[in-house]
Amino acid sequence: MKPLSHWFRDTSQDLGLRLIAALGLLLYLVFIVVPVFMSLRSSFTDENPLKSGSNWVGFANYSEMLHDDQLRSSVGFTLALALGVTVVANVVGLAFAMLLDRTELSYRVLRTIAFLPQVISGVIVGFVWKTIFTEDGLLNDLLARTHLAAQPVDWLGKPHLAQLSVGVVVAWVLSGFTTVVYLAALQNIPRELYDAGAIDGANSRQQFRMITLRMVAPATTISVTISLITVLKLYDVIQVLTSGGPANATQSTAQYIVKMAFTNDRFGYASSIAMFLLALSAVIALSVTSVLRRREVDL
Amino acid sequence: MLRRSAAAVAAAGVLLLAACSNSNSASDGGSSGGKTLTYLTFNTPSLTPAFWKASIARAEKEAPGVTIKQVVAPSTDRDSYAKQLQASGQFPDLLQSITPSQYTEAGLLQPYDQAWIDQNFLLPQGNAIKGKVYIPPTNSQIIPLVFYNKSLFTKAGVRPPTTWSQFLDVSAKLKSAGITPLELGGNDPFAAAMPLTGALSADVLGKNPQWVQQRYAGQVKFSDADVVAAAQKMRTLVEKDYFEQGALNVSYADSIKNFNAGKAAMYPMGSWYLGSIPKDQWDTIGVFPWPTDDGSVVVPFAVGGSMAISTRAKDVAAATAFGKAWSLDPQNLKALIEGDGAFPMLKDKTLKDYDVTVSPAFTDSYSYVTKTDTKVSAIGWATNDDALPGSLNNDFYAAAQALFNSKDVKGQMAKLDKSWDTATK
Repeated sequence: MKPLSHWFRDTSQDLGLRLIAALGLLLYLVFIVVPVFMSLRSSFTDENPLKSGSNWVGFANYSEMLHDDQLRSSVGFTLALALGVTVVANVVGLAFAMLLDRTELSYRVLRTIAFLPQVISGVIVGFVWKTIFTEDGLLNDLLARTHLAAQPVDWLGKPHLAQLSVGVVVAWVLSGFTTVVYLAALQNIPRELYDAGAIDGANSRQQFRMITLRMVAPATTISVTISLITVLKLYDVIQVLTSGGPANATQSTAQYIVKMAFTNDRFGYASSIAMFLLALSAVIALSVTSVLRRREVDL
Repeated sequence: MLRRSAAAVAAAGVLLLAACSNSNSASDGGSSGGKTLTYLTFNTPSLTPAFWKASIARAEKEAPGVTIKQVVAPSTDRDSYAKQLQASGQFPDLLQSITPSQYTEAGLLQPYDQAWIDQNFLLPQGNAIKGKVYIPPTNSQIIPLVFYNKSLFTKAGVRPPTTWSQFLDVSAKLKSAGITPLELGGNDPFAAAMPLTGALSADVLGKNPQWVQQRYAGQVKFSDADVVAAAQKMRTLVEKDYFEQGALNVSYADSIKNFNAGKAAMYPMGSWYLGSIPKDQWDTIGVFPWPTDDGSVVVPFAVGGSMAISTRAKDVAAATAFGKAWSLDPQNLKALIEGDGAFPMLKDKTLKDYDVTVSPAFTDSYSYVTKTDTKVSAIGWATNDDALPGSLNNDFYAAAQALFNSKDVKGQMAKLDKSWDTATK
């Protein structure tokens, strides 16, 4: 532990860095930590956005959550989506990254295209994919023209198909991010490792398993963790694509929080669900990170 | 002004990200020493920025000393946005076409002078909350009506039905003739629920207009036999395959295109569809009310209105003067009548006074408003004491979508009872 005086050493470079760090910390406190604590306090009240003041209700909101069927189904869907999308987005991201790991101009252009889904607003993504999935949309049109489907497929009309469709869209969005992360990792692998592997007689599959997968392990940790957290708090894409339907089949936990807060005017209850989602995300993220970190060491 | 668009629901996510609103003064000049009032509005294809600018300017002239600063909601879901503004201490002085019941309990809205309301509107209590009027009842909608394609009816040799059994018979004959009986934009939840709204409004509220009030009092439930029997009607339409192929995968916008293109014979939709009938189809599209068991006409009705006044307005008197002026301006209703199929509710005025050209279907629909047939609250759309609590509208829509994939009608209705409990805690 450094003495307090250490932090006030008068070198101008240190002072500048500390100022930047202090500003970052201040922003983090104001926009992240304080709202979390405000939400935590609200979760023990019957706070209503339209009324001033609120009453302390203890754990009533939390006990209500235990018997809330819609919340249960939204959490179930969100967890399944997070798991499925994380696996798909990371597999696709790594595959794309390996395909695009070249220096030619055309590949640099392709990298930019691969990252596009991550850059586009979730609302626009939702609208675009909605036009693809609807009854007369591009996908059904393509299936009809290629005679792959005699009847249009209800991509957004059947609960399980709608869940799958949402998964595809979210995985598509996240694949842009995972591709970039894995690409950065791949570009840091020394070429000599592959040369040595080739001399030792390793075929391409063995090189992938013994060199590539091991060397991108830290990127996997980051990519998987961020993918999981992103999907756990997903709102915009689903809201536009399906509005949580059909019959709440694709309602995410974040959507349910918004519904409770701004439609049912129950800030207190919405805050308790938000606290639960925060805890769930933290537990999952910490568990996954610790497992993957251990894997990095083992590799 | 009741219409909810798919985009409204879809763009709700943007609301969370909208840290600040688009706001602009409608007047070219600044404040002339009078009061500057904030006015929450929203844009639709009918209610364009140009419409607001002109209508505000006209009302400002009628209310000297008032300058309006527009606050434009990022989507047509103005209630969610109004609540966010309230939560952040920015509740507007005037709010266009909100759902008053969501704010009255918190004492946020100032009622209008009842004598003025009685003097100027056809249904003075049309959207009253506990006897007080918070939005002048300037217009109304029927939700739903059943629009039909006269050519396709002729082709199948059927006539507009008046009873439920006739409705099923007509649907069967249309299907036999190779014509899709019913168009439905079920991908948008509110549109998916139109048949359920019709069945429950006509069968349940038609027989017991106090049903919603009794539900609030816990005397009736959605899982009661009469409600389940009404909901079963929608399930029957699904089981008989009368809706178009993949109805839950058809967007609201596409459903309008499909029906206008003659891809289905009937279209249960709010009367705002009247604004979407192409002029070259005016003689092709007819209309009839949602059919009842005995053939009696029940009109699922909702009275919309203009602007509400905040009790915390900087100058309540000035805000009221502006609200009254805007509400009585026939020009403001022209866009709603022609674009949204709204029925004007100003006293002592005929359609000529609004300088509008409307379709025969509009005239026929309007007759259901002006006749003395049974008008009941359109369940899920009423803005008066019969407004459903919180998210019940959304849950109601979800129940309608569920009936496409679930035979358990009673179970779906029981879910609504649970949602009711959650919404009213």
